[in-house]
Amino acid sequence: MNLTNGFAFTCPFKTNSGNKALEHLPVELAGLNAFKPLIITSRELAGPKAIGTLINAFGDSGMTIGVFDDVTETADLNVVEQIREIFLKGQYDVIIALGGGIIVDVAKILNLAVSLKVADARQLSPATAIRDPLGPFVVIPTAAATGMETSKYAVLSGKIFTSVHLMPGLVVLDPRLTRAKDGKTVAEAGFAAFGRTLEAYIAPDKNPFMDAYAFTALRFIRENLASAVNKRCNKKESLAVANAVAMSGCVISNTDQNMLHRLGQVFQNTVHVHPGIIIGMCLHPFLDDCMKKDSSRIASLLLPLAGDDKYAAMPEAGRAGDALRDLCEFSYEIYRSLKGKIPRTITEAGIQQYLMKDIFDIINQEPDGAYLRTVIDRVGGSSIKA
Amino acid sequence: MILPDYYEFCCRVKIVAGHDALEKIPALLAEMGSKKPLIITDKGVAAAGLVDIVVNALKEGVTIGGVADNVPPDSDLKVVNQLAGLYRDNACDAIIAVGGGSVMDTAKGVNIVVSENATDLMAFSGAGALNRRLKTLVAVPTTAGTGSEVTLVAVIKDHEKHLKMAFTSYFLLPSVSILDSRMTMTMPPFITAMTGMDALSHAVEGYYCLQKNPLSDAHSLAAVNMIHQYLPSVTKNPADKDGRLAMAVSACLAGISFSNSMVGIVHNLGHATGSVCGVPHGICMAILLPYGLEYNMHKRGETIAELLLPMAGEEVYRKTPKAERAEKVVSLIRQMNQDLNEITGGRHARYFSEVKDRDGKQMVPREILPEIAKAALLDGATIYNPEDQDYEENLLVLEAAWEGKPLDRNKIKKG
Amino acid sequence: MREIHAGGKPLKKAYVAIFLWFTGRAIQAAAKVDKEVQKEFAALPDDFTFALGCLPNGPWMVVGKEKGKVKYFGGNLKCRPVHLRLVIKSLDAAFLILSFQESTALATTRNRLMTDGEVPYALSVIRILDIVEVYLLPKLIASLAVKRYPSWWSFSRKLAGRVGVYTRTLLGF
Ligand SMILES: [Fe+2]
Repeated sequence: MNLTNGFAFTCPFKTNSGNKALEHLPVELAGLNAFKPLIITSRELAGPKAIGTLINAFGDSGMTIGVFDDVTETADLNVVEQIREIFLKGQYDVIIALGGGIIVDVAKILNLAVSLKVADARQLSPATAIRDPLGPFVVIPTAAATGMETSKYAVLSGKIFTSVHLMPGLVVLDPRLTRAKDGKTVAEAGFAAFGRTLEAYIAPDKNPFMDAYAFTALRFIRENLASAVNKRCNKKESLAVANAVAMSGCVISNTDQNMLHRLGQVFQNTVHVHPGIIIGMCLHPFLDDCMKKDSSRIASLLLPLAGDDKYAAMPEAGRAGDALRDLCEFSYEIYRSLKGKIPRTITEAGIQQYLMKDIFDIINQEPDGAYLRTVIDRVGGSSIKA
Repeated sequence: MILPDYYEFCCRVKIVAGHDALEKIPALLAEMGSKKPLIITDKGVAAAGLVDIVVNALKEGVTIGGVADNVPPDSDLKVVNQLAGLYRDNACDAIIAVGGGSVMDTAKGVNIVVSENATDLMAFSGAGALNRRLKTLVAVPTTAGTGSEVTLVAVIKDHEKHLKMAFTSYFLLPSVSILDSRMTMTMPPFITAMTGMDALSHAVEGYYCLQKNPLSDAHSLAAVNMIHQYLPSVTKNPADKDGRLAMAVSACLAGISFSNSMVGIVHNLGHATGSVCGVPHGICMAILLPYGLEYNMHKRGETIAELLLPMAGEEVYRKTPKAERAEKVVSLIRQMNQDLNEITGGRHARYFSEVKDRDGKQMVPREILPEIAKAALLDGATIYNPEDQDYEENLLVLEAAWEGKPLDRNKIKKG
Repeated sequence: MREIHAGGKPLKKAYVAIFLWFTGRAIQAAAKVDKEVQKEFAALPDDFTFALGCLPNGPWMVVGKEKGKVKYFGGNLKCRPVHLRLVIKSLDAAFLILSFQESTALATTRNRLMTDGEVPYALSVIRILDIVEVYLLPKLIASLAVKRYPSWWSFSRKLAGRVGVYTRTLLGF
């Protein structure tokens, strides 16, 4: 790692992970001077069982809790405005987001609205200046998390808000909530987190603080994703993946190397395909290119992927090849066990031709658009005539 | 990598590092809406010209609300109150702390007083007494060791009432830590050596203590790797800019690790030795670290063995049979002490019997070891140590560390 | 949108309360039977009192010294000034600890058990609790509850101590 050029790093959230993590919430909130939480969630997306578990965790605290459980996939600033009024009227003092994806996006923008004391949430835009830290904000990811919950990004109606202050102050990972109903959800989240951290990990200008998160996340996903996908009853493996997914939010907020992430984002915003699917399929062409540019960076992946013994046993010249082989085995195992539930090419994903044109229009605007196109081409994007 | 049944991890401090990191302070202050910082430091730091470098770096866009260089080597309540008065009188809106542990503690204390408008600091000691954000605090460490730029503890002493107040809160974490190679450039070799070994003890204890978790582990591994690589060479070549930066960064990584996973017997016995004999903390750490590893070896052998790869690299790791890896780690740390001893012309002590004060007098006479062993029973770090400790065992370790003999591990009681 | 008032957990609370009552009386008993516990208490101030309990709303156990004797003072935190509080973060965490799924040391290191007060007092109390646990529990469970089970104790200390602590705890003298 080269430190000469200097760097900056920040991860504002505290992580509480494990058995009975939810039950510590009343004490955690008191430590933030917060006593009346408003839970933002969705019956449809997070499920009534998760909501029940969270509410039960407040048992014996004597607290009054607000629950807004109507967030939908299509939520926009109007919904934020609706909740903002509820928040003010109910005199709530902390926001707890339960779930993943859009639920947390809504909660982040809500936090922005109530902290900046705007008169109407619909005035907010990515151009809104966010200078000071916002109010207390807790994220409780479920298995449906995408990894962006813990990041500095929030996306609402295609608009991307960016600020470190949007990141939560506390992330609670509880094994009762991080178990998935189906393997596909786990695999999507795992692939998304894996690709994002992998790209940051092999970046030439990474710093050791970000690297600590990336290393841990990569190893957790490599060691646990396959069994979390296969044996969904296994709490421990799902929790390890959820930990890695949460860490990936910190990683993506501290790197400029986010090509895979951006590709995933474009497909999510345009055709509502989970970014994990796109990141999963683009991983291989991306790695091929990296290998041609600088194989030593790929070689460094062998340590988090294969572990100390295999890494040390392999002479330097063989490490990059070994890392690639390991990666192929890893993703093959997951694709195979999901038996086609996760598409491996754009064609398999069934994206309509006219929509691919929209995607290419967006990609062409990116500074590295020409290169991004070549990646999409190699995962079957070109077979669909744009 | 092990996921504990339950863990918590937090380091909210923004880290800014580089050879010109100080120059980023004005922009950082502006980002946080602060315009007029009070600089808190001590006479030694000021005399070394470090404050001038900081003041120079602040030239653009910042009005300095005052420079207070009267922090004593031991934090003091009176000074905290006086500096809080200065902060208010000069209408400051941020604090920049330039120095080592005592300066950081004092600055954290001042921050409580000015943010909470407190008259009695004591009211904010117990758990949970602080529950909102304090004023902007920028930490500029001038030693690469304590890690107090990323810890959530402040110890303030009331010398009149003979009280030691400990404050613990996530709100005490500085807003930003600035790791700039210029701040440690002038550190003399033997201080570089001992503060560096303090950092290593944080990384290593953080790795084997009971509160370890995957994130503290990753920070420890990175720190162990860099300290082993850079500490001897920086001690030898004090002007090595990149080495200085690497040491500042690794001390910070180690600080993040141990403030989340805590420390054990090495710090427990080290604190006691410090308070009974006045031996500098870093020296105690350097001497005790191999013994801490030996003491916990029967419970944490595999964990300790994992330190070998980041420490010595693939070659050594591969050549050392699995069963011997933990012991190899211990001998590498002993070797580091030996090397540092040679580089500093004997000033870096390897055993307690070697520790001398300025007049060449032995600081830890053998007869005093029982007193240290007893004092250690009152130090909280034992809670996080994997193996239990009692008086006899404390004495056993201290005696071995005094003579410089490996620990007789058979004498440790096993449950 | 709805607003909910957090309910109670009467069963867990009752279990924890009973267990704290039992532990409190056992400490009182151990102070009469065991030399080491006596020594620990002797080193503490004359009116030293500590409490063990849970956030946010109890239950609690208060034990302290009065006229040289160690007494269990019941479950009211406000019954007398407390020097040291051992605080468990939630009822569920207390349940984990008190049903021996998690040792005291482990609970501390898992950020579930916090100490509020001077550190030397806390260390003393933890040593006392460890000894009491060894007396109260069968070896298999006690070795989960403490860092290391004192296998070096003589058989007679264990037996006499255990009988003494149990009878006194149950009979309350
Ligand atoms: Fe230290």
